[in-house]
Amino acid sequence: MVWLRDIVPAAQNNINTHFILLDKGKITRDGQNKMCLALAGDKTAAVHLQLWGEECDAFEAGDIIRMENGIFSYNRNNLVLRAGKRGKVEKVGEFTMEFVETPNMSEIKWVPDPNNFNKYVQHSVISPHSRIFPPIP
Amino acid sequence: MASKLIRIASYQAESQQELSLRQAFDLLESKLRPPFPLTIPNPQEYTQLNQAIIYGVLIEPHFAKIHIKHLHAIVVDGYKLFLTLLVGIVNELYGKFVDSVKDQLIWVTREMIDVSAVGIDGLLVCLLRQIIGGDFSDGNLWLCFELVSVCLSKWDCLLEEEPLVLTSALYTFLRLLSDHCRLSSNLELGVLRQLEIEFCVRMLREQFHLCLKIGRDLVRLLQDLVHVPEFRTIWKDLVLNPTEFRIAGFSDISQLYCTRTSSRYFLLRITPEMETHLRFLLTHVMLGSQKRYQTWFAKKFLLGPERESLVVDIVRFLCCAHHPSNEIIQSNIIPRWAVIGWLLKCCRKNYIEANGKLALFYDWLFFNEKVDNIMNIEPAMLLMVCSLPNYIDFTHSLLEFLLLLVDNYDLDHKDILIRGVSSAFHTVVQKGVESRRPSPPRSTTLTPTLGGPTSTQIVMDDAKRTNDSLTQEVKNLRHKAQLQEVEQERTTKQLKEVMAIAEVETAKCKASHQDTTAQGRSQSL
Repeated sequence: MVWLRDIVPAAQNNINTHFILLDKGKITRDGQNKMCLALAGDKTAAVHLQLWGEECDAFEAGDIIRMENGIFSYNRNNLVLRAGKRGKVEKVGEFTMEFVETPNMSEIKWVPDPNNFNKYVQHSVISPHSRIFPPIP
Repeated sequence: MASKLIRIASYQAESQQELSLRQAFDLLESKLRPPFPLTIPNPQEYTQLNQAIIYGVLIEPHFAKIHIKHLHAIVVDGYKLFLTLLVGIVNELYGKFVDSVKDQLIWVTREMIDVSAVGIDGLLVCLLRQIIGGDFSDGNLWLCFELVSVCLSKWDCLLEEEPLVLTSALYTFLRLLSDHCRLSSNLELGVLRQLEIEFCVRMLREQFHLCLKIGRDLVRLLQDLVHVPEFRTIWKDLVLNPTEFRIAGFSDISQLYCTRTSSRYFLLRITPEMETHLRFLLTHVMLGSQKRYQTWFAKKFLLGPERESLVVDIVRFLCCAHHPSNEIIQSNIIPRWAVIGWLLKCCRKNYIEANGKLALFYDWLFFNEKVDNIMNIEPAMLLMVCSLPNYIDFTHSLLEFLLLLVDNYDLDHKDILIRGVSSAFHTVVQKGVESRRPSPPRSTTLTPTLGGPTSTQIVMDDAKRTNDSLTQEVKNLRHKAQLQEVEQERTTKQLKEVMAIAEVETAKCKASHQDTTAQGRSQSL
């Protein structure tokens, strides 16, 4: 299990983590597929979560979710965490998990590592918290 | 293989408890049919056999009698393990059980009462806790019906073996009757209501010594039912003719007032899931970060036409059954008073808000340092004091409510109420609970409420003797009250001024008192 603070964009389905779903956007349709952007967090960081198909209706804000073999990558210019075709998300509980809303790993500008072009490193903070799901005052 | 015990929604993780029962069942299934082996199982086999039989009883109604016979044959611990396992799965999985499993659960509960199983009280209590206050869904009313039927049909057995379970059931059904007597349209609900009334009346009339064990909250619950004819007569006897209950030494309702209600009764009206969420909120969530949690909690537990009545049960639970450690008190974790303030603000119905406030102040009315716990009255004091800077009207309404209670709650025992509230004030001031107060004598805008009632003066007079700052406050209040009578207009202006001052004081206090206050409190508590 990794903390959300430690995830780095990569084209690999290797992220095992768990988090609490904080907020869900509107479900949209993309051809046959349903899609839904959501905000997730653990006690180290938050991130934008992309839900696909049936996942959109299966989860509600307040659900604690375990992700196996997820991927954190750019999807149409959005940096999102998702299960992808090879990964899996499962509800394991509700409510009883701490979270923070900043930093948001999706609101960070990442650049290729000058020493290793296969890796990304943090360049700057675009926004301290989600611009799509702002914190509740 | 899919579970026959619970409904698992898509994308939901398996339950480890369910899995271990199912695995035991799959492993031993061939041995669960007669003829049963005569060998004595070792401890590990014994546990597995118990697990397998539970699973069998719950998912195979047609073989249930065989499974129970099997259990009777192998049992060596008075059914203790069997019941411990049952309580575990009820607490974790009841809401997900398929309907036939719930039927079996009630059936096996009756079987276990018949054999006086060790821990049957625990099983009945955990089933009572699954009944949700303010929930008129079929499933919830079904559980009420089944459990009240169990209590009535197994009356003699329970009375002999586990009389306190009947006391717990009384607390539960009196509370539920306040829901079930409010809506009267439906025929099925009418049948249920009659059974609940029959059970409660029987307890009160035949086993009053058990009812007395509940303590003062018995009065609170009964008062909600005085409009029901059956309870009106009981109430009259309680007030006018206490010897009617034929309990040696019981001669006045005030004896109930003086008995603090044990926290286990408040836990009865909170489901284990609610309890987990509330305790998490009050041990992990920082003040300022609670908004999302509150939204989730309200959506899950308080949304729905009558669900709001739960607020009263939750307030009692928070005051009397959840006492934070000194470490938590000193931290920035959301305090109980803030959660209670939020809950009271959630109430859309006036009578529920009033009952919520009564729940908050209930231990104030009869407070006695010798038997009562300061932690039970602390939330009300802090809620009043901490609301001063930004929600002065709320403080105002709380104090007004408390004074109305002293004046009107029980005219024949006003002396007790005055003594209780004075002693509560005395204690919180002496122990420094109100030292978190943002601005000491600035609460002058409370005047309108304090102008009238004479008892206020007595209450305040008593507290005055013990504390200087409070004395000053009371003097100010009374002075301002007089002023206000003369000059109504000035009040608005004063209010503004005081609020401005309170804000400044709050800022000051935040800066300087943060550390010292916390230390002072931890020492005094």
